[in-house]
Amino acid sequence: MTQNPFEEFQSFQYRKTSFPLDRIVHTAEAVMDRIRLGYEKLLEEEAKELVWMVQYNTIIKAYEVAEKYIKEIDYSAEDIEDFCFALENTQRIPYLIPGPAGIYISALCNDAREEEIVLKLSELKTEINLIGFRLPKGKRLMVEGDTGDFTGIGIEGGELVVEGNSKNWTGAGMRSGKICVKKNIGLHTGEWMMGGEIHVGGRVRGLGNIVDGKVYEREKLVYPGKARYPNVYY
Amino acid sequence: MEDKRLQGLIEEMWPRLKKKHLYPELPIPKIVKASAPAEEEGEGNEGVGLEMKEKQMTLNPAFISSMKDKMTEENLIEALIDHGITHYTFCPWDFQTHLMIYAEAKKVMGDKESAKQATNYFIDVIADTHCVKKRATEIPELHRHLKKRKVDQVIASLYQRIWGIDLGVSFSNSDGKGSEEVVRRLARIPYLDRSRWPESIRKFARSLKPLLVAEQKEKESRGGQGESNPQGEHDLGHYSYEEIDQGLRDYAQKTMGLSEFKEVVEDFSPELKERGYGIEGGMGRGRGAPVDADVLFYMKLSENYSIPLKKVPLEKSGKLHPHSHSPWEIGAPFQDIDIWTSFGKIMPGMTQVWKKKEGKGRGKIEGAPDCLIVIDSSGSMINPRKNLSYAVLGAACATNAYLRNGSKVAVYNFSDAPMGGRDIVDYTENREEIYRVLCRYFGGGTALDLEEIMPLIKGKKELDLFIITDMKITNLETLIGFFGKIKNRITAVHIGENPYAARFEKAVEKRKNINIFKVKKKEDIPHIVLGSIREYFDVTRKTGD
Repeated sequence: MTQNPFEEFQSFQYRKTSFPLDRIVHTAEAVMDRIRLGYEKLLEEEAKELVWMVQYNTIIKAYEVAEKYIKEIDYSAEDIEDFCFALENTQRIPYLIPGPAGIYISALCNDAREEEIVLKLSELKTEINLIGFRLPKGKRLMVEGDTGDFTGIGIEGGELVVEGNSKNWTGAGMRSGKICVKKNIGLHTGEWMMGGEIHVGGRVRGLGNIVDGKVYEREKLVYPGKARYPNVYY
Repeated sequence: MEDKRLQGLIEEMWPRLKKKHLYPELPIPKIVKASAPAEEEGEGNEGVGLEMKEKQMTLNPAFISSMKDKMTEENLIEALIDHGITHYTFCPWDFQTHLMIYAEAKKVMGDKESAKQATNYFIDVIADTHCVKKRATEIPELHRHLKKRKVDQVIASLYQRIWGIDLGVSFSNSDGKGSEEVVRRLARIPYLDRSRWPESIRKFARSLKPLLVAEQKEKESRGGQGESNPQGEHDLGHYSYEEIDQGLRDYAQKTMGLSEFKEVVEDFSPELKERGYGIEGGMGRGRGAPVDADVLFYMKLSENYSIPLKKVPLEKSGKLHPHSHSPWEIGAPFQDIDIWTSFGKIMPGMTQVWKKKEGKGRGKIEGAPDCLIVIDSSGSMINPRKNLSYAVLGAACATNAYLRNGSKVAVYNFSDAPMGGRDIVDYTENREEIYRVLCRYFGGGTALDLEEIMPLIKGKKELDLFIITDMKITNLETLIGFFGKIKNRITAVHIGENPYAARFEKAVEKRKNINIFKVKKKEDIPHIVLGSIREYFDVTRKTGD
């Protein structure tokens, strides 16, 4: 009779151990999948032809759609940062459309459970547009790195800190709250802003048509004031 | 005496530890006193416990002694050896992975020292986590008792979280919030997923950056004197020459980027030099000379490609025969002494030896002739020191093929040769010398000076010519005319397509000794067959010999 050569191992019981790291990584991956899915749905609905125009209506509508999808997700500030980097990984997210991506990230920040969110985006190759859109009162969003156009538009009382530069139309239509840009800022800064403050550590390239609010350049008040005029490049 | 006892203990434990790690090919660890005694490391710091040089682990008895109140000797030794073995069996595994991790860390950290620190921490976290997950180990116990600076505290707190083991780490209120946030970020990294290490190290470095920068500043304020890692530093000493060679080769192949390779090699330049990596001397090693990263890049990258070389029937029989006499010197071999002309005496000055030469017969011994490489480095060609040049890579591969076959190679690097824009190296086997001329870039006009090439060809009965250019040569017609006159095997490689290349192809299409290859991408390089002349396969010619 042939003897089973593995006979002596029959009593061996394989013990599947649970390792905390695996659990943490698995949970983070699952959350990321859901965030990614929400973004893809947003693109499906709002950027069908992969073209998205920045208009008041499109922004409002995209934000509402984004809110709808993220409401069902339980995520943390770190998940938002991971999503920002995943956007640049074409294997994970095939389409990075800066407008909807920025709206989606803003919705994620506004709806996050943390009051203070730090996004370390210095190594990100893409500057995300529309970041900080409608940041509500009581929230503080800190971005390490540069941001794109329409940074902090329509802020609703929150505080947005950009450690690098920010591009054109920053703070457009903001109602209250504060934007601090540590380096330079682009054109049309504060276009149609109704209130709040914009502090710039470097240079303000140009102011927009400001209704109300204050703009500081290197701690010096430049609006309201006579030194700077709207839509003039400096 | 104490060292002998510890060595005995290791010898007793070693078979069990080897079995635990599935029999890694490592020599038995040794007990060797560290060069810097523990007392010099500063009060309360245990010094280095483990060092690994070319796969040889050495344990520091002073470190073991300093920890004796905290852990048993067996457990401490086991933890250190587990850590060392896991570096070998899992992370970094090889030198190429080490370089890749460092290069990614550098992108985030910006400076060399911090990037090295981030790399070291990352490698340690992976090795220890792998070991804790897969094996029964005393590593957690070791971490519980090690003295911790700020970064170590964060790392230990990370271990607590990802291993689920209490290591007795808690943060004080002052910096607790910031550190907790860092730990939270670090804990989300998939350390054990090798395929994601490049993105993982970036995230790791990004999260740890403020702490590492602060640590670096603190170190600088102490005059560069930092505290050493008790689990050993991760430097090039870990790897053997062969591993470094292989690692550089793989890294060049993987990145295919000259600037990235150059940056990493320059950062490791002092260590590479210490390991004998200059550019003078054999195989890229030698002392004293600076590491020429560009040359090293092409050298290592070309080693990944193999161009076949068709041999030709040479007249040499390959056997040595006595040719002439020379005086015998003390220490020279006796077997070549000519007793007849030495008058039967062994005496310097009187005794003569036979000088032997390779014989010439009519046999069809196949061999590789010497080769003259003509390379274009005019403005229309890519500067090999700025971007990956397929011309230089192709020429480098050809060089390797000829040198491997025992032939010599000469290089004629030209741009506007009649105006002095050229560099020549005569027939040599010195690989570095050849590569240095290949990597020379003039960036001017494109004209050959045939009068300068002639001396390199004359007097060589068997010689292959290898020309690599984009064919945008001002005196192309002269070159075509010259090629029409000579019978040597010519391998002409043109980079890209243009009317000049088409003109050249058309003009020499009937010449059987000229083979033309086109290189548009690096994958085209292995398709070059050196000296593959149609005539060589001509049966009538073969039998005619």
